[in-house]
Amino acid sequence: MEYLLNQIVNGISQGAIYALMAIGYSVVVGVTGLITFTHGEVIMIGAFASFYIFQYIGNNLILGIIASFIASWILGMFIYYVCYDRFFEAPSHISLICTIGASMLIRNLAQIYFGPNQKPMLNIIDNKVYRIGVLQVSLMQIVILITVVVLASILAFFINNTRWGIMLRAVSQDKKAAYLMGINVRKTAMIGNCIGCGLAGIAGLLISIYYQTLQATMGGSLGMKAFSSSVLGGLTDTRYSALGGLAIGLIENLGITISTASFRDIFAFGFLITVLIIRPEGFASRKGAKSQ
Amino acid sequence: MNEIILKLKSIYDKYKIIIILAGSILLLLVPVIFPKSYIMGIICRILLYIILAGGLNVINGYSSQFCIGYAGFFCIGAYTEAILALRLKINFWLLLPIAGIVTAIAGLLICLPTLKLKGKYLALVTLGFSEIVRLIALNWSSLTGGPMGLKGIPVPKIFGIEFKNSLSYYYIFLFLVAIFLFVTRRVINSRIGRAWMSIREDEQAARSLGVDTSMYKALNFMYGAFWAGIAGAAYAPYTRYIDSTFFTLDEGFNILSMAIIGGMGTLIGPVAGSIVVNLLTELLRPISEYRLVAYAILIIAMMWLRPQGLFGASKSILAGKEIVKKARKAEKEAAA
Repeated sequence: MEYLLNQIVNGISQGAIYALMAIGYSVVVGVTGLITFTHGEVIMIGAFASFYIFQYIGNNLILGIIASFIASWILGMFIYYVCYDRFFEAPSHISLICTIGASMLIRNLAQIYFGPNQKPMLNIIDNKVYRIGVLQVSLMQIVILITVVVLASILAFFINNTRWGIMLRAVSQDKKAAYLMGINVRKTAMIGNCIGCGLAGIAGLLISIYYQTLQATMGGSLGMKAFSSSVLGGLTDTRYSALGGLAIGLIENLGITISTASFRDIFAFGFLITVLIIRPEGFASRKGAKSQ
Repeated sequence: MNEIILKLKSIYDKYKIIIILAGSILLLLVPVIFPKSYIMGIICRILLYIILAGGLNVINGYSSQFCIGYAGFFCIGAYTEAILALRLKINFWLLLPIAGIVTAIAGLLICLPTLKLKGKYLALVTLGFSEIVRLIALNWSSLTGGPMGLKGIPVPKIFGIEFKNSLSYYYIFLFLVAIFLFVTRRVINSRIGRAWMSIREDEQAARSLGVDTSMYKALNFMYGAFWAGIAGAAYAPYTRYIDSTFFTLDEGFNILSMAIIGGMGTLIGPVAGSIVVNLLTELLRPISEYRLVAYAILIIAMMWLRPQGLFGASKSILAGKEIVKKARKAEKEAAA
């Protein structure tokens, strides 16, 4: 029972990171209208940017967050111009294949320049553990949760209350109508894509702190988890995507209580496939929503 | 590019019988011409990937469903052959169709729940499926040997001839490629193939014309998976040793890049793709770490310049840009 409760705590903190990835993913899918396979690589680049900042400048979490945000923002611009800019009106499989190519490119270049081996992440948060009854909560988990909640609320404020946010929502709802309203759709799509990528980069920083390692090939399974969480939430809805991320984190950590840790990914994808069979539209279902 | 293909086609039509005869004699004599096992190894790889990329092309190119985790099917085929051959000592020639059928059933199981889903969801499900299959192969040690893999898979025999090296195994691959191309050509030109292509071009229009799209999509997936199983079953006794590291997602992307670079929606496309990519792999061996970078740039360049691939179906939706341009032109003309 004690073990189970602690696994739930682990699941929530891990799920929070997945939720951040999934929020970024659904922002990207929302504004571009095309799905991407580069998200995992963006996560990886964010992790490496903060790794080098910690190594050469200093152990400052805020600095690391800013560095990974900027690095993945720049990568987001690259991805936008390679994969989306010319393909808005083409059949969607073309940009899909393009993102696969871009992800192969980034991953293999990273493998060459960062080295193929696992690197230990510097320990920038104290290993303090607080005990609440039988629960054990580490300081790191609290920091992660706070970071995710703060970022998600900033994003929610940005999307709901600012001019740019309204433009983003307009573009993700209907591109043609947004054109007619005088919105620069391409620029808005690029900024939305970069915001999503930036959030993914911060998620990469958090997950590399959480596991204390990072690797050039870490993006593959993480990107797929972001994709899965976002699919659970109906792809474009940020709130339900966050819920999907939490669900996947919980299922994974509960799943490995009944088996070994090497089956972690099987639980995540098995859960996703089961949900897709029962509710193909994910958790979110609105009447009259345009099916994609 | 298109003019060159048309010219080649007209020459081929003129001297069809001579070209086919000369070609098949030449193909049969390849092991005599290149008696080095290194070169034959490359040629065997090319033939193996022709089946894999061709099978993927049937799914992605002909019915425009998007399967990415094709390595999962390949894995199932290889492990089915290896396990049944080692445990039950079943004959290789019997195992080929068995592995194909097992993989086709796996394809059906993946496909059935996703029939109502559109392309991107299917892409994700196949990706997850491929990882699940690989992880099961890695972790179910009592059946699959786990990280140790399966060793000593018996080599196929027929009439006392043992196919134990790439020189003789070449004929098995050649035989399978010939059957694959022949059967697929027949299927593509039949009612089934036309139904697949109509689904690719416009699913709603196909349904309104009475095409049972769900049934044909499931059939398409099963057919593609079947050939992955056959390729896997042929591959396992060729290397005589399999483990889960061969069937990663990168392998799936490798097969996909062959289908894309060669061109989807035609029979010749994946053949060309397999030849180009495998020869490129050998040429780039000195800079082997940049090999996948080169593929990636090639894929992106292909999508920018020629989305249908080298020999892809130029007049289909796969060609993308031209279709869109034409539609825009027609719109402008209608407006004027």
